[in-house]
Amino acid sequence: MTPPFSHPRWRAWPGRAVTLLLVGIVAAGFSGLLAEWQWQAVSDLWQSAYLRQVIWFSVYQATLSTGLSLLLAIPVARALHRHPRFAGRALLLRLTELSLVLPTIVAAFALVAVYGRSGWLNTALGWLGLPFRWNLYGLQGILLAHVFFNAPLAARILLQGLERIPANQWRMAAQLGLTSGPLWRNLEWPALRRVLPGLAVFIFILCFTSFAIVMTLGGGPRATTIEVAIYQSLRYEFDFGRAALLAMVQLLICGALWLVASRQGSTRSLVPGSHEQSGTRRRDARPRDRLLLQLFLAFLALPLLAVVVRGLPGLLGEAGQGQLWWSLARSLSVATIAAFLSCTCGLAILAASQSARQGGRRLMARLLESSGHLTLLVPALVLGTGLFILLRPQLGQTHQGLALVAMINALMALPFVLQVLRGPFATLPPNSLRVADQLNLRGSYRLRFLLLPLLRRPLLLAAAYAAGLSLGDFSVIALFGSPSAPTLPLLLFQQLSAYRIEAASGTAFVMLILLFVVFYILNHWGDRRRHLRAPNRLTTGARVHA
Amino acid sequence: MLEFQDLSFRYPDTDWPLTFSGNVAPGQCLAVTGPSGCGKSTLLNLIAGFLSAESGSLRWQAQDIQSLPPWDRPVTSVFQEDNLFDHLSVHDNLGLGIHPGLKLSREDKAAIDAMLDKVGLDGLARRVPTELSGGQRQRVAVARALLRRTPLLLLDEPFTGLDPDTRQTLRQLIRDQRDQGTAIVLVSHDESDVESLADRHLRLTA
Repeated sequence: MTPPFSHPRWRAWPGRAVTLLLVGIVAAGFSGLLAEWQWQAVSDLWQSAYLRQVIWFSVYQATLSTGLSLLLAIPVARALHRHPRFAGRALLLRLTELSLVLPTIVAAFALVAVYGRSGWLNTALGWLGLPFRWNLYGLQGILLAHVFFNAPLAARILLQGLERIPANQWRMAAQLGLTSGPLWRNLEWPALRRVLPGLAVFIFILCFTSFAIVMTLGGGPRATTIEVAIYQSLRYEFDFGRAALLAMVQLLICGALWLVASRQGSTRSLVPGSHEQSGTRRRDARPRDRLLLQLFLAFLALPLLAVVVRGLPGLLGEAGQGQLWWSLARSLSVATIAAFLSCTCGLAILAASQSARQGGRRLMARLLESSGHLTLLVPALVLGTGLFILLRPQLGQTHQGLALVAMINALMALPFVLQVLRGPFATLPPNSLRVADQLNLRGSYRLRFLLLPLLRRPLLLAAAYAAGLSLGDFSVIALFGSPSAPTLPLLLFQQLSAYRIEAASGTAFVMLILLFVVFYILNHWGDRRRHLRAPNRLTTGARVHA
Repeated sequence: MLEFQDLSFRYPDTDWPLTFSGNVAPGQCLAVTGPSGCGKSTLLNLIAGFLSAESGSLRWQAQDIQSLPPWDRPVTSVFQEDNLFDHLSVHDNLGLGIHPGLKLSREDKAAIDAMLDKVGLDGLARRVPTELSGGQRQRVAVARALLRRTPLLLLDEPFTGLDPDTRQTLRQLIRDQRDQGTAIVLVSHDESDVESLADRHLRLTA
């Protein structure tokens, strides 16, 4: 008796087809870029003052953002480690996770609500009778938003670095009575030094390719990044040659940085995961650490609170209008398709690569898996630019654009999906696999009785992240979406740029709720997974909030 | 009769292949003994088809079975651990031994219940393996092996670390199986296991 679908081709070919498709899409994107490539235009890079300014500003703001984020994250991580029983610790850790999936455009709105012209900060300054008013727009706004996004992420990863120091070393240190300085030199710095370069590159790239934040908080040519300039060339100036040029510059810079980071092997440690507390009391724990943590908590929580407080009335005002609900429906369908596509492709790739590895074809296995990581190398907007140039005559209709958005979102989520699914795919003990073979548990039976039960939770987690990513996506939808049929992020951007803050707050609130639902599912199932043998690998895709 | 002649296997990065010769007839139990690292488990994995031999012959009832995949060989293995799928109930773990798609007839289900009775696990059919003790899990593993009714049984340290009661029960079941004509290959460090089950010995050297 032969189980259905047990021929080896059923394991190998779907994944190979997906790989071919992925390579095809990326190649199509490149051919789009190359089609508009003009060697003469390269000299614009140093001749055009505008381009020089854009590239300079991209690097400048990303460097400053990275520096500030790390400067804040290091003391926060140390303080968190010194105070394992800090009252708001659990909430703070949750918030650092949230910033991984919080759509940038919602964060931008949240910051406007607190630090904007008529935000809470300026109202407070007015009450105090101070003549000074804080202006959010421009470099300071971009930096604030990037720190808001990346400092918690960095703090979380650095905290894990500290928690990886063996508990016995902390115990020794406590016995020796080491104070802050020696602790830093002997324990903390050596541990953090391994994580920092990769982390810095990671944050730099996130800030360098930041789109929604620069679109909403940046202003004019003096505060424009490459990513935004690409968008403007495509959608407003119809200067495809310039877009292709800028996309290449961005690709070169990001690619080179990734190469440097992965050479050092430090990108692996960039995955937030489970961690352990040594529980040893630290002599250098000080009250002012608590103050720092409280301030940091407020820094993270206030903008979210503002979305809720201002969002409820905004939502009531908006609820009668169809546009919000239509956008919600569009967002949900795009996110659902993206999540489904991403998970299906991820499963197919893993099945094929596992089958290749078992057959001793390691190169093939690596080829298959790296195809899923292509979008790490080729930023979504660069890929989108190429496809936009290639497909522009056919892009008459809204649903075609949305389908393309769903597809690119799925590609963006794929590295993360693969990361989440790979663990459970490989955690079955060798003897269990042997038993499965002997029992003829192959083909669709293996999928049904062995793989799907093991993968159900990681699949849900992966789908939740992919959906969250797609729900919050602004850069791809800005390229391909049509202004008259927006998704939620696009609608929010339209409302923000029209200074319809009331309506915007309603939209942001809806997005936040959606995200909480997704995030709740994710955490809920993530926790339940601990009952299984498979280790809990909660990992993040590299550009989850890009 | 299972016969293996000059059956050899080489692990990567080792100079010398492991080579095995021997046979076991239906109704016999062959105990494979020797120091650790001499390839006892390797032999069982070669017979089951989890590993492929470099050279030599492997025959069952005078038929060469080396080209058969694990699922087509007349063999059931019981390992020291990881025999069961932790996410499936005891009932389903047993059912998979009868049909890999869990398409079970009424008779199949009755056979499962009877077998659970026999190994002293009646009433635990709905549990998952993680809720059972090590001894109970191994009872399930042996129960499944018996339900499969293959003419050849490969036991790899099946009773190591179990409580005396479980040991006694399972040994008796294996002896009954042998007496009904199943050929058994046993790998065990435990002398009392070997003594109570084995008819013949194959001593391997490192």
